[in-house]
Amino acid sequence: MNSNVRRGRRRTFFGVDLLLAVLGGIALGLAYAWVISPVEYVDADPSMLRPEFKDQFRAAIAASYAATGDLDRALARLGLLGDPDAAGALAAQAQQMLAAGADFSKIQQIAQLGADLQARPPVRPVVLPSATPSSAPLPTSTASVGMLTGTVTGTPVPAQTPTPRPSFTPTLTPGAGFVLVAQESLCESADAEPLLTVIVLDASGRQVPGAELIVTWDGGEDHFFTGLKPELGDGVADFEMAGDVNYAVRVGAGGAPVANVSAPPCAGTGGDSFAGDLVLTFRQP
Amino acid sequence: MLAAFKRLGLPLSLGVAIGLLYGWVIQPAEYVDVSPIILRADYRADYVLMIAEAHTAELDPELAAQRLAVLGPEPPSTIVLSAIDQARKQAYSTEEMDLLQRLLADMQLFQLDEQ
Repeated sequence: MNSNVRRGRRRTFFGVDLLLAVLGGIALGLAYAWVISPVEYVDADPSMLRPEFKDQFRAAIAASYAATGDLDRALARLGLLGDPDAAGALAAQAQQMLAAGADFSKIQQIAQLGADLQARPPVRPVVLPSATPSSAPLPTSTASVGMLTGTVTGTPVPAQTPTPRPSFTPTLTPGAGFVLVAQESLCESADAEPLLTVIVLDASGRQVPGAELIVTWDGGEDHFFTGLKPELGDGVADFEMAGDVNYAVRVGAGGAPVANVSAPPCAGTGGDSFAGDLVLTFRQP
Repeated sequence: MLAAFKRLGLPLSLGVAIGLLYGWVIQPAEYVDVSPIILRADYRADYVLMIAEAHTAELDPELAAQRLAVLGPEPPSTIVLSAIDQARKQAYSTEEMDLLQRLLADMQLFQLDEQ
């Protein structure tokens, strides 16, 4: 009887022992495979890049686009970064660069590419590559990205024929200065800081993305661009004003400056006054 | 001793094997924040082509060299040279090869100036 009990206990002990040893081995194996000697990647694709390198990649794409004007190729290259919203990522990057005081020409390249993507009508993706299961992530790429080659599997989707299209994106015409055509005061909220909203239109009345706005005031100057907040509109930009400061606003270096721009005085519900918002509309003559 | 090994060593080895299989093959460590140094050669070449395209308009060798530096610590001309090799393998167009060659020449001059 006693020996049966002992044998039973030993069997249970052995079972727990076995389980613990296997689990310990798995832990050791995983630690080695994930931490000590993980799989080494040598053929990474751009979607795996660190965010700051993705920013540099985007800047290079925008600079190349500024030189070549090839939107299809720029779009295909942006697709490699795996951003769910390429135009949004460009707008966010332009805003970050603006806040960091980066070179305006570089910001404008990025903003322009973002705005042109926004203005582009939706098209079917050029290629819908399916993932190739593999221990090393090989890019399944696209023939339209320059000369990149990759493994494209699955049912081929007819590629969009890159036929030349008439340019529908309003762009700035060098030398044509924008002039103020409308001004509207808004007294909506006493709580928020007064906001200057600028709308930039081309000669045919379409909003112009990527237009540089220059705001100067006594002792200061700021530059910003239309189209950085696509939710407001491609040709719209806004600027937070101080309640008691006079500004001069112009569109681009050649635009006619509009002086004495300030937050309009508004009357609150309790008879108090507050600084309201201002909307300026510039148009190319 | 042998009994102890049988009791613990074999299950431990089995566990290690399972762990390695899972960690290396089934679910390898995911790299999500890598540096461009390990970009695949064709992506590197396309990045260099972008720099070359931008360079034709900007004509700023210092800026081009800064952008190329993202790809590694090698001199910019070496990076462009590698890209040209890759471009040849991928049969880049003559126009694209010309852009890369022009960038190479400018980077070589830039390096000489720097020295």
